[in-house]
Amino acid sequence: MPARNHNQWSEAPSLKTGEWVDSRIYSEQEIFEEENEKIFKHVWVPVCHESELPKPYDFRTASIGREPIIICRGPDNEVRAFLNVCPHRGMLIERRPSGSFLEGQPSGNPKRITCMFHAWQFDMKGNCVYVAREKEGYQDRLCKENVGLRRLRCEVKFGGFVWVNLDDNPAQSLEEWCGKPFECLRKTLDAEPLEVFHYHKAIVDTNYKLWHDTNSEFYHDFMHYHNRVTGFNDAYFARKNEAFDNGHVVVGTFEVNYENYEGFESRAELSFPYLPPNQWYMIDLFPGFNFNLRGSALRCDIVTPLGPDKVMIEFRGLGLKKDTPEERMTRINHHNSIWGPFGRNLHEDLIGVAGQGATMRPGTEPRNILHGRHENETIHDEIGMRHYYDVWGRWMNRTPSEPDKPYTATAVAAE
Amino acid sequence: MQANGHDKTAAVRDSIYRAALALDDQRWQDWLELCAPEFHYKITSFSPEINKDMIYLQGTRKEMDNLVRMLPKHNTDHSPLHRHTSVYTIDVSEDGKTAQAVSSVVFYQNMLDGNNSHIEAGETRLFLAGRYVDTFAIEDGAAKFVDREVKLDNRRLDKGSHWPL
Ligand code: FES
Ligand SMILES: [Fe+2]
Repeated sequence: MPARNHNQWSEAPSLKTGEWVDSRIYSEQEIFEEENEKIFKHVWVPVCHESELPKPYDFRTASIGREPIIICRGPDNEVRAFLNVCPHRGMLIERRPSGSFLEGQPSGNPKRITCMFHAWQFDMKGNCVYVAREKEGYQDRLCKENVGLRRLRCEVKFGGFVWVNLDDNPAQSLEEWCGKPFECLRKTLDAEPLEVFHYHKAIVDTNYKLWHDTNSEFYHDFMHYHNRVTGFNDAYFARKNEAFDNGHVVVGTFEVNYENYEGFESRAELSFPYLPPNQWYMIDLFPGFNFNLRGSALRCDIVTPLGPDKVMIEFRGLGLKKDTPEERMTRINHHNSIWGPFGRNLHEDLIGVAGQGATMRPGTEPRNILHGRHENETIHDEIGMRHYYDVWGRWMNRTPSEPDKPYTATAVAAE
Repeated sequence: MQANGHDKTAAVRDSIYRAALALDDQRWQDWLELCAPEFHYKITSFSPEINKDMIYLQGTRKEMDNLVRMLPKHNTDHSPLHRHTSVYTIDVSEDGKTAQAVSSVVFYQNMLDGNNSHIEAGETRLFLAGRYVDTFAIEDGAAKFVDREVKLDNRRLDKGSHWPL
């Protein structure tokens, strides 16, 4: 078809409902606010890895949606999560990204979580253990027993990631929520403790779902020279793209030929436990978390949406805790070669989603974003995105291709 | 001795600044020619988030040569980088054969591709900041890089880059 006029351009494509979405789901403030409310306050979010707080009294801070969170390891070795919000006058209790409560703070004692503002102190279970001049100010009307922290559902699972849910009564346990998609790597990730060796973040002017889409569609391997030369063979095109309940997707494995990229090496020597050499699994969890295992290194992406057209993506790389220094160095090099901030693929992926963000600023005219490729549920089939947006539609009670209309099940969703 | 030492620090300073210009201008081979065959390059950062020293990229001279030769195969943000480098200290070894230098470096990005180049192209943004920690072999009055560590302050790198810093 030649170039189209406005009406032709805006027409529904000759695809079935569910095979495209309206770009307003990536650009409208109202939809973004609703996602925070209806989705992010109710799903399990991997906020960090347990190796980031290895010792009792270690802590990490993070956030889910706009809610600041603190994660700490108690003297009993339990990892717990709380809102990082002081029950007194709402101060952010801990301002550092990580540290240890074994050290005292200017306003408080060792082994306590201290709010610097008026020196209220809490223990590792979130109990308030000290209110400055408690009796003098509150007499018998309010006591420290009444002002504990807001505790959050927290579990360490699937290779040692720390999962938090803002909902006290989530509809599903973490296992029910995403146990099935993790099945393909469960033995591998749980064989022995993992350790994070890489962290960096990107703040990009794009919608968080566009990043997740890129992680769940492989058709874009055409933009990665590395993936074309190390992949693109019969086994690659046969890779299964499988949808799971709750909007999750798993892309099955094949053997990558790393040596086909000049100067790169096979990763066979350092495969994760129970994996044949040079395998590549990808688990994409609704609404925006990704676990990507390429033979010797595991990558995890966590999105924190900052607006309809702004997202923070945190990138982690992991190896085995027991790695020798030489093994660790090799994993780091493998990780960095394509996934590091100066690697060959990540830069390309980020340019891709930033370019989408540039055309979908709030207030731009609605466009059709196509998710209609069918290739027997193999690697370039866009089943992952179709499945995701059907689940998204149900959470939001909106039809992704007509977001002003309530959700209706699509034929595509049932496939 | 005084004059000799002075020559050597001048040679070191000259190599650092020539490298900065070559890298700014994306004259990759000119940059690599300032490096000895045993040259090793790395970009590092410390993460208070995970409490670890990290390596973001590293390679031998051959690996860096390979990396820059492969650049045309890749999709890249073409916004040029401009580094402002100040050499802070130069320590020449007793025997005068090697030297260590520490420089402060700030990378600006002159937007070309941008997100929407209509709006952003032509603007200069602060991209990254850190230090160069360099080791040199000094021979016949010339200082060749044998090691360069780019110690970044940043863990937020946004789109990152395909280019050596
Ligand atoms: S706001 Fe935290 S002690 Fe007052
Ligand atoms: Fe990619």
